[in-house]
Amino acid sequence: MTRNSATVSLPNAPSIQWFLPLIWIALLAMCIVGMPLLEGLFRWVEPDARQVVYDRAAFYELLGRHVLVVSVAAVVTIAVGVAAGIAVTRERGRDFLPLVGQLASLGQTFPPVAVLALAVPVLGFGTLPIIVALMLYGLLPIVRNTLAGINDVDATIKEAAQAMGMTSWQVLRHVELPLAAPVILAGVRTSVTINIATAALGATVGASNLGDPIIAGIVNGNMAYVLQGALLIALLALSADSAFNVYQQRLRQRLSAS
Amino acid sequence: MIELSHVSKQFGDDTAVEDITLRVAKGKFCALVGTSGCGKSTTLRMINRLIEHSSGDIILDGQAIEQYDPVKLRRRIGYVIQSTGLFPHWNVARNIGLVPRLLKWPATEITARVEELMGVLGLPVGEFAHKYPHQLSGGQAQRVGVARALAADPDILLMDEPFGALDPITREKLQDELAKLQARLHKTIVFVTHDMDEALKLADHLVVMRDGRIVQQGTPLALLQRPADPFVESLLGGLERGLKQAALTRVKDHMTSLGPTLPAQSRIPADFSLRQALSMMLRDHCDRLTVVDQGDVPIGELSLRRIVKEAQLDKVSQRDA
Repeated sequence: MTRNSATVSLPNAPSIQWFLPLIWIALLAMCIVGMPLLEGLFRWVEPDARQVVYDRAAFYELLGRHVLVVSVAAVVTIAVGVAAGIAVTRERGRDFLPLVGQLASLGQTFPPVAVLALAVPVLGFGTLPIIVALMLYGLLPIVRNTLAGINDVDATIKEAAQAMGMTSWQVLRHVELPLAAPVILAGVRTSVTINIATAALGATVGASNLGDPIIAGIVNGNMAYVLQGALLIALLALSADSAFNVYQQRLRQRLSAS
Repeated sequence: MIELSHVSKQFGDDTAVEDITLRVAKGKFCALVGTSGCGKSTTLRMINRLIEHSSGDIILDGQAIEQYDPVKLRRRIGYVIQSTGLFPHWNVARNIGLVPRLLKWPATEITARVEELMGVLGLPVGEFAHKYPHQLSGGQAQRVGVARALAADPDILLMDEPFGALDPITREKLQDELAKLQARLHKTIVFVTHDMDEALKLADHLVVMRDGRIVQQGTPLALLQRPADPFVESLLGGLERGLKQAALTRVKDHMTSLGPTLPAQSRIPADFSLRQALSMMLRDHCDRLTVVDQGDVPIGELSLRRIVKEAQLDKVSQRDA
C-alpha cells in the first residue's frame, strides 16, 4: 500500500497521539485571542506604522470564514473526487480512467489566481469564486489517492470477496473502500492543508478571511499585518494537518495487516 | 454433481482451456493436476463463474450454470485459494461468518456456526476468534480460509492450490485433516494442484491437464498402473511410480493368514500402506512382517515375495485386459 512518506509514526497511546494537534490548536486559539498583547513585537517590526495589530475585523471572525470556505470546498471536493475515483475503477468506467486523471492534474496545474480572475466575471466578487478555485486546486490529491488506494487493494482479496458471493457494491463497500481508506485520507489531508494556505487568495476578490490582513499589509506596506495573517494561517494548517495525521494513524493501526 | 462437457475458454486469440469433458459425482474428490499455465485454475474458476466459459456446457445439479444468478451461485460454492484471500481488516470470526452473513442468517446462528467450524478446524475460539489475519501463521490462515469456505455448508468446494504456500510439515498435516474432513462431510470437491503426491493422496478422481487439454483422467491407481503417455508418467514420478502405487494400497489387501512359521519380529497395523510396509522391511532388514489390528493383535502376515508377485500379476492381468 502506498504510504505517505511525510507521515511521522507516533506511539500508540491515544493521549500522546492527540498531544501534537492539541498544541497547535491551543497556540492558534492563543494567537486569535491574544494578538493585541503581541503589539510590542509587531511595533518592533513596523516602528513607523500608525496601527500594528490588524483590527478591521475580529481575528476569530476571519478564522471562522476561512474555516468555512475551506470546509465547503473540501466537502464538495471529497464527494466529487472520491466518486470520480470510484467510478473509473469500476469495470464500466475503466475507459475514463486516463481522462479523469488528466482533468484532475489540469485542475492543479491551473494557477488558482487565474481561476479567480476567470471566475469573478461569471460568479461575481465574494466567497463563490474562491470556493471554485479551491475545489479545482484540491481535486488532484483526492482523485489520485482514491485511484491509488483502490487499485492497491490486493487483487486476490477482491477476487475472494467476489467468489464468496459478494455483489460488486458489497465488495466496494466492505472491502475496497475500507482498505483504501488510509490512502484516500492521506489525499484529503494534502488537499485540505494546501487549500488552507490557498484560501488566503480569497481576500483579493472580496471573500474576507485570514488572507485579509496579508492583502491589507501588502497594499499598505505594513509587514506586521502580513505576519499576523501568515502566522494564523500557518497555525490553522498545522492544526488540521496534525489532526488528520492522528486519524490516519488510527486507521492504519486498524488495518495494520494490509 | 458437476459436469463439464466440451468446455473451452478463449482469452482473445489465446485458448486457455480446450474441449474439457469431466464429471465429478456428488461427494467425490476430483484433483486437477498439471504444470503451471495448463488451464487447471481457469477450469476451476469457470465453475463458479469467476471466468465465463466460451463454449461447451457446465452443468451443476442438472442445471446449466448460466441459468444461475452468479452471486447466488457463488454463495453455495465454497472457494479456497492459495493466498487465502482473507479480509485483512476483519477478524477471524468475522471472516469465517462472511457467507452466512451475506445469506442473512440470524446473528446467533452465525456465531454458533463460526464456533463450530473453528472447533472442527482446530482453532480454539478463545484464542483465535478476535485475531486478525496478519497475526496468524500460514497454516492457521489457511484453516480459516477452509472454515470460511465451509461456513454456509455448501455442497461444492473449489480449492485452488490451497496448501501450495505452506511448509511441507504443515501442508501434510492439513492434507490429512482435509482427507478426514472429507470422509465425514462428503463434499463434492474440485481441487487444483501441481503436486502429484497431494493429488494421489486426496483424490478419488485424477485429471491430468496439459496445454489446456485433459491428457488423462481416472482413479489414482488406474493412472499409476497405466499412464497414457510419458508426460503423465513423468508427473507420476517416473521410477518412483511403483512406490506411489504402493502408497495407495493397504497392507490388509495383501496379507495372508498367519502361517505355521514363527511370526516375524516387526509388526505393522493393517491399515498402513504397502509403501510403509516396504520401508519397514528395508529398515528392519527382513522380508516378512506381522500384520496387527488396532489392538496390536496379530491377524496376518505380509511377505515381500508375495507383494512383488502380486504386483506382477496385476501387470499381467492388465496386459490381458
